[in-house]
Amino acid sequence: MPAADGMVVFTASDKVKARRKATMEFITLNHPVDCGICDKAGECTLQDYHFEYNGGASVSRDAKTHATKHFDLSDRIVLDNERCIQCTRCVRFTREISKSNGLGMLDRGDHSIVRPSADGSFAKDAYSDNVIDLCPVGALLAKDFLHKARVWYLKATPSVCPGCERGCGVNLWHRKDEWMLRSPRQAARNDGLDRVTPIENPAVNGPWVCNKARDLPKLLGRVRAAGALFKGAPAPLEAAVLEARALIAEAKRPVAVVSSWASNEELAAFKAALGGRLALVAKRDHEPQPGEVVQDDLLIRADKNPNAAGVRAVLGECGTEVPKDADLVLVWGEGFDFRAVPASAKIVFLNAFLAPENGHADVFLPVSIQTERSGHYTNFAGVTSRFERCFALPPGVLHAEDLFGSLVGNGRGA
Amino acid sequence: MPGRQLIMDFEVTPTSHTLADYKARGGYETLVKALGMAPADITKEVTASGLLGHGGAAFPVGRKWGVMKPNPGEIHYLCANADEGEPGTFKDRWILEHAPHLLVESMLITSYALGVRHAFVYIRGEFDLPCRRIQGAVDEAYAAGLLGKPVPGSDFTLDIVVYRGAGSYVCGEASGLITSIEGRKPYPRNRPPRLTVKGLFQKPTVINNVESLANITGIIRMGAEEFRKVGTAKSPGTQLISISGHIAKPGVYEVEYGYSWAKFLDEDCGGMLHGAKMKCVVPGGISTKVLTRPEIENLTLSHESVNPAGSGLGSGGMIVIAEGTCMVRLLQVLLRFYHHESCGQCTPCREGMGWMHRIIDRIVAGEGLPEDIERLYAISHANDGTTICGMGDAAGFATVGILNKFRDEFEYWIANKRSKMDGRLECRA
Amino acid sequence: MRHLIPEFERMKERFPEGFDSSLVLPCLHRIQADRGYVAEEDIVGLCEYLSVPRIQVEEVLSYYTMLRREGIGKTHLQVCRNIACSMRGAEGVIEHACKRLGVKPGETTADGKFTLSTVECLGSCGTAPVLMVNDAYHENMTLEKLDALIADLSAGGGNS
Repeated sequence: MPAADGMVVFTASDKVKARRKATMEFITLNHPVDCGICDKAGECTLQDYHFEYNGGASVSRDAKTHATKHFDLSDRIVLDNERCIQCTRCVRFTREISKSNGLGMLDRGDHSIVRPSADGSFAKDAYSDNVIDLCPVGALLAKDFLHKARVWYLKATPSVCPGCERGCGVNLWHRKDEWMLRSPRQAARNDGLDRVTPIENPAVNGPWVCNKARDLPKLLGRVRAAGALFKGAPAPLEAAVLEARALIAEAKRPVAVVSSWASNEELAAFKAALGGRLALVAKRDHEPQPGEVVQDDLLIRADKNPNAAGVRAVLGECGTEVPKDADLVLVWGEGFDFRAVPASAKIVFLNAFLAPENGHADVFLPVSIQTERSGHYTNFAGVTSRFERCFALPPGVLHAEDLFGSLVGNGRGA
Repeated sequence: MPGRQLIMDFEVTPTSHTLADYKARGGYETLVKALGMAPADITKEVTASGLLGHGGAAFPVGRKWGVMKPNPGEIHYLCANADEGEPGTFKDRWILEHAPHLLVESMLITSYALGVRHAFVYIRGEFDLPCRRIQGAVDEAYAAGLLGKPVPGSDFTLDIVVYRGAGSYVCGEASGLITSIEGRKPYPRNRPPRLTVKGLFQKPTVINNVESLANITGIIRMGAEEFRKVGTAKSPGTQLISISGHIAKPGVYEVEYGYSWAKFLDEDCGGMLHGAKMKCVVPGGISTKVLTRPEIENLTLSHESVNPAGSGLGSGGMIVIAEGTCMVRLLQVLLRFYHHESCGQCTPCREGMGWMHRIIDRIVAGEGLPEDIERLYAISHANDGTTICGMGDAAGFATVGILNKFRDEFEYWIANKRSKMDGRLECRA
Repeated sequence: MRHLIPEFERMKERFPEGFDSSLVLPCLHRIQADRGYVAEEDIVGLCEYLSVPRIQVEEVLSYYTMLRREGIGKTHLQVCRNIACSMRGAEGVIEHACKRLGVKPGETTADGKFTLSTVECLGSCGTAPVLMVNDAYHENMTLEKLDALIADLSAGGGNS
């Protein structure tokens, strides 16, 4: 019965307590108690409720019923029908929120079983991974995170998804300091993201995020640019900064191609240091990839960059093309077509990831990624959200925010 | 016949279900009378008649109609619930097979009263002949210009769809029925909102049992005052009782409320099969609690007499059980049924039905534990009021009813690994 | 199912407007009557015809006991085993049918002539025990009547 005006609800009468305890008994009746190997353990609603409302051992003397295990719901999600308590939240999500109608509850009674629609609509659902969070038990699990870590080894750092100009609130999960992996074989995972979950924000994304956010560990986990370069040759970082400063100082018509993945803080630092000196061109660092949903009615926006609005707000309207007479181009971030640079112009390139273009620049400077700093993005609707730092700055890498001050001045001297 | 007849008041012949025969009996004359009345006056008359629903809950029909405020221009629906699936119940089938036009005329009158333009007869899929009969009657009514276009002499139009179910007990629950008509799994819905406020496709919908509707024509024809002269003050009219089990003359009987229960069994139904002694009786569908012969000795067939005895007339599906019948096996059959029919939406019913079924199977297999009886009680109680529809409750009532009265048979089987009654369900000569 | 669309269109006429989703069940009934079961191509065609999500049709097909996605024997014997029928000998009828046909409930005979099923209450308790031969009720069943029925059906007699 839904709540109504004037209704008095008893939530702790003896009768309510008894029924609640009994209902917990029903829910756990055929639920395997395999918490020891279940990824949901530690954040499982059923565990919490059992502890709070029942707490006792099962009174059943009958064997638990069996159902399908390790069912491939899609190439992203694995389903354990024995753990499933048939709450149908996942089914309702695909019916009411993502509207893919990708999941259903087949059969009836205690044989009811969650299955994907045979037309493959669940695999195409760009929001499918939300059912993993919605699942109150460990029935729906992400293949990417399967058996990767106990959740209590991880901490969640609040952040903003850079996948599009929506800027959904996300928690980035990574290992706690006290649970760092020690074996050399596994140590690399200490600096990586393990998983991403939404942060509910009614003004931006409600309680959901799309699958692109879930894949941030892959997007941000790409191989990094390890050090500064002079035309592809490794160079000391200090020397490279000085060289970049000299090139800018010597240029007559310098141009900056600004990253729309930059934070408001970085943009402000850029403006303060170099804003008056360089002509500005705004760049979309990322464009929709083949197969990616370009835009929809729920969350996904066509501009696949988190801070295009921030660029406009901080720097005003920028140009869209590099002027033909530019003699120096400072390129900040990914996604730039270097063919747009006049042949005679010098190139200073700031990038975080390993890319062939890095070696073509006159000066290449490796910069930090979002998880190595904190800052703000402003989304398409003007809502500014903060992201926090997850990891320390790797050696040999600069924060762009710190760098810009060093690029002001004359000549190659210190 | 036990008392006066309002529904089964004609001789069944090979053609008595046809439009021609029905008209010869005065059929569709009441429709003409009704169309001359103001719609609100029809509802008033039905409310005044005190007609109680015949689907099982005995909810006053007038009160249900009263919740739906006919609003010209707004869409309202009517559904006749012909998904007769409560074990032991087969009385709507009689109306569908033998008096389908009575249902059609009643639905026309009801629809006129409630501002309904489209009505449905939701009939269980297994009912082949009843389905053909009601479909035939609807088709005849279309051909006669009673359906599909304005009824001659009025501007009232009604379409009736005969909608076949496909094998599911919960479709007999009104909101499950509606969800089924919407083309989905028949998961029942939480109330409120009542179906008379938000029903089929979120429009106000009245769902009445076939027998309840079949009474409407009579009530309008004779008037509420005359109708109330039949039956008792608290249970006006008659009830179709479908009787089965260990009884000499099983079948459908129209019983005037207030008729002696013992007399009904002993005289009208010819007494027990093979002259056996009666052990107990399921009064109105298996979801009502069993009563022993001594308990019913002085009761009459009326709600005010049976309800205080801790049971109810329910859907009129009466099952008579002879001495010597094994109640453990009987409960096993019931729990298998409830397990099979639980839709799976609510946890207590979904898990509880399977659990009870496994426990009773284990007892019958000779592996029962003394604690099993308490467990069956506990599961029954835990289903009381915790599910969206009444199925979990009903299974609990049936189980508790049998355990309360025949606990010794369960204890015997658990202790001795065999039935106290030779495990028989049949009554042999 | 496409050849049935004209029939579906006529069926639609008596439904209120906007009730396409309601037609799922009647259409599945009609398809099954036509083919004996509901095939993959029927599901695809029906979803397209009624503009309903595929999963809705799959849920309905899997939920209701009368609908099936695979063919069965030529004659479907369904014996009621609910309370009233059990009290009048249904268990013996089922046992006898299993023995006569050499199958267990839920199975089809090797020659594809019979599929035997047990079902819950058919609403024929007054004439128990009852069994259905395809769509038709055969009431007050006895072992002798069952023998005669199976013999008749085996010989290719009428199927009801």
